[in-house]
Amino acid sequence: MTRVQIPTGAFSLILWGKSNFYQSFLLIKITKLYKVFLLFMEMDEPKEQESKPEKAEPSKKNKFNYDKHYKFLFLIPIIILVFSLAYIFSFYLKTGDILIKDVSLSGGTTITLTGDFLSSDLQKLEQDLKSKHNDVSFRKLTDLSSGDIIAFIIESQSDPEELKKSIQEISGYELSQENSNIEFTGSALSGNFYRQLILALIISFVLMSIVIFILFRSFIPSFAVIFAAFADIVMPLALIDYLGIKISTAGIAAFLMLIGYSVDTDILLTTRALKKQEGTLNQRIFGAFKTGIFMNLTALAAVLPAFFIITGIPDSFRQIFFILALGLLADILNTWLTNAGIIKWYCDKKGIK
Amino acid sequence: MKLSLRIWVLVFILAFSAMIILNLPPAFSFLVGLLIISILLVLTYSKSKKNTIVLLGLIFLAIFLIIFFSIPKGVVISSISSDSPFFTEGLRKGMIILSINQNSIKNMEDYSRVLNNLNFSTENRKIEISLTSETFIFFTNKTPDFVVSEISKTNIKTGLDLSGGSRAILKPENITLSQNQMNDLVAVTSNRLNTFGISDVDIRSISDLEGNRFLRVEVAGINPEDLKELIGQQGKFEAKVGNDTVFVSGEKDITFVCRNDATCAGVESCSPDQSGTYFCRFRFTVSLSPLAAERHAEITKNLTSDPANQEYLSKKLDLLLDDKLVDSLYIGVELKGRITTQIQISGSGSGATEEDAYNDAINSMKKLQTILITGSLPYKLEIVKLDSSSPVLGREFTKNILILGLFVFLIISILLFVKYKNIKISLSVILTMFSEAFITLGVATLISWNLDVPAIAGIIAGMGTGVNDQIVIIDESFSKESLNLKARIKRAFFIIIGAFFTIIAAMIPLFWAGAGLLKGFAFTTILGVSVGILITRPAFGEIIKILQKE
Repeated sequence: MTRVQIPTGAFSLILWGKSNFYQSFLLIKITKLYKVFLLFMEMDEPKEQESKPEKAEPSKKNKFNYDKHYKFLFLIPIIILVFSLAYIFSFYLKTGDILIKDVSLSGGTTITLTGDFLSSDLQKLEQDLKSKHNDVSFRKLTDLSSGDIIAFIIESQSDPEELKKSIQEISGYELSQENSNIEFTGSALSGNFYRQLILALIISFVLMSIVIFILFRSFIPSFAVIFAAFADIVMPLALIDYLGIKISTAGIAAFLMLIGYSVDTDILLTTRALKKQEGTLNQRIFGAFKTGIFMNLTALAAVLPAFFIITGIPDSFRQIFFILALGLLADILNTWLTNAGIIKWYCDKKGIK
Repeated sequence: MKLSLRIWVLVFILAFSAMIILNLPPAFSFLVGLLIISILLVLTYSKSKKNTIVLLGLIFLAIFLIIFFSIPKGVVISSISSDSPFFTEGLRKGMIILSINQNSIKNMEDYSRVLNNLNFSTENRKIEISLTSETFIFFTNKTPDFVVSEISKTNIKTGLDLSGGSRAILKPENITLSQNQMNDLVAVTSNRLNTFGISDVDIRSISDLEGNRFLRVEVAGINPEDLKELIGQQGKFEAKVGNDTVFVSGEKDITFVCRNDATCAGVESCSPDQSGTYFCRFRFTVSLSPLAAERHAEITKNLTSDPANQEYLSKKLDLLLDDKLVDSLYIGVELKGRITTQIQISGSGSGATEEDAYNDAINSMKKLQTILITGSLPYKLEIVKLDSSSPVLGREFTKNILILGLFVFLIISILLFVKYKNIKISLSVILTMFSEAFITLGVATLISWNLDVPAIAGIIAGMGTGVNDQIVIIDESFSKESLNLKARIKRAFFIIIGAFFTIIAAMIPLFWAGAGLLKGFAFTTILGVSVGILITRPAFGEIIKILQKE
């Protein structure tokens, strides 16, 4: 798979060490976010009891003026979204698909070796297998705390029997039920899987949209939430395509989860902005932000240890958490810049103060 | 302090979950339940703060001691073949072995040490196996052929990807089956696996979003090759003379298949060929039904004897499995035109060494016998997915996932303490988060849901959403608005219920998509948020009200 080189804004600055790309990526992304966070923190915290709604304009000059800048802030995620969509589209034109499927979605075999194999010469195994099966790829599962290799993962489109035979011939060890996991997905099923998971993704998006419309019963606020959820899916997908990460069935499930997982902050924001009667609109949005950003943080805290602390976990697990982490990061932008921007504009139009 | 009904409900369900999850003797698990509920009594009636803390400390100590001392000892029989002599004597799956020859067995190490000391190969030994209620005495020169494992400390069932085993997903070739036809297929397939000697199978028919129907077979402790051969082939067995079929597999033609009886079934001879590969021949007899026997007479009636070999008839009896020739047997001239009810079936196995060839022959014989007994599957099946996972790797993963869960728990706790700088609020969020995950596990255990890797990912991700909801409740109820507390909590619940329904909406399609392989993820996520919205969130709202009044 050749990587399509199209700059995607800030993302192209990120340098990659293939083996620990999860960690390095998240670190860089977090420092970036922290700057955005600081920007927000400079925002004028509206004082309680600032009685009359007519005087909603923040008074202090040095502080960030949300009324003035929200349209500009709104543009940031929109630009990233347009870049992401363009990237996914060009990716589609080059590869014929919007993502790179792993063997669980394209058909093939994954063999995970452990036990005796880990003490054998893995490099030799890698080289010799490459000469026999041209599409074979490798990953190591390392426990970060001890530095030990827990498992060695081999992926190929070959049949399990062929791959198994080659591994046994090269390494000299017998594959057994104790020392290996073997997963085989026939091409008949994998195509079906992929179609259905994409269908499930669409259904789940539609169902989520219906719930949101029922909840708010008004077009623009509902649209803002749904738009943010859409962006939460597109941005991580573009990044994953750019990084050349192969998506498994579990990965697509994670995108579905993202739909449900990311909208709670949007619901919080919209409810606070529209239904809360006290305080100015800016105060309400900022109040929602204070609650919501902490929600984003705890949700991220729930998925991050899988990359920094305990890494010896199944790959499907890591992929779910990686996509959730990307989605949650994207959600911070999309909720507090995009969705907040639309809601602010909507309330200004409707005269909701 | 007066505790409202919602908190009582939460603690009762928590107590019940503990009783379900922990694998303790019933009396002890009941005691644990009672102790958990007594926490409520202490909170309600204890007058001074000091008393409360002392009493709660005692309760937790008691729970800990009970769990620690009542964990069952011994090893459990996890799999025993119905062919085993131990089975005939009455040993069954699930029985717990406490001692062997008066040596107490506490764990797997004890078990293998005691068995090694017995040194079986030489002569017949007496083994006295004591179970919880009875004792069996055997005289044997063979190592017990059943499989034992440690008694699990919990009743939680883990999926094949963590506990080890094989899974196959099969699709009928070129045909869409009705639900009834699928049910027949399930019955025949499980019969075949059971006849082969595998008891721990889970076979079910599953359907997906596009209306395709699949057969899913999950087996603990079988290698994928055997599984593939047993169910991946239709097993259409035919014995033919020329183009005439004498008999086929299944009870209509074959009334008895000799198994496990050295006088009429076994491996005959082994020998190497020129290239050094060993071949072993097996044979076993089958009894034909009168109808099939007459057919044999009718077909052989017109055959002449073979000019090259006068003892045999000119045509051979060809044994075909799924239209492939397994073996060809000479028919003795004396059988010509006779109604024969006993037929000898034979075949061969091969291997690099004599032992390999012998084992291969035994294995092939067992499979062929199985197919002859159970008959052909009504449809030809294609294996579309075949996975096998190692219990060793599964244990490593389980351990790491548990540690990961602990870390997630810790990090969220630290964040909460930093944010709220209030021990009571932070602790109540943490305890609620724990209860939620615990009750989710309890419900999953109660309905014997197999927790696979995606399912556990769902539970951990669910912890994140649960905390989010509680943050909303706290921030709403502690906001300095003039609106009354009840109205503010009501608004918090509007947000929470909205988030709840979006997660349900997002997860529902996963129940069917992709042959239901990600059902576990959808299930635990939905279960977790449902436990949240029905049990823990209402109770948490009450706790926050109490904290506010203070």
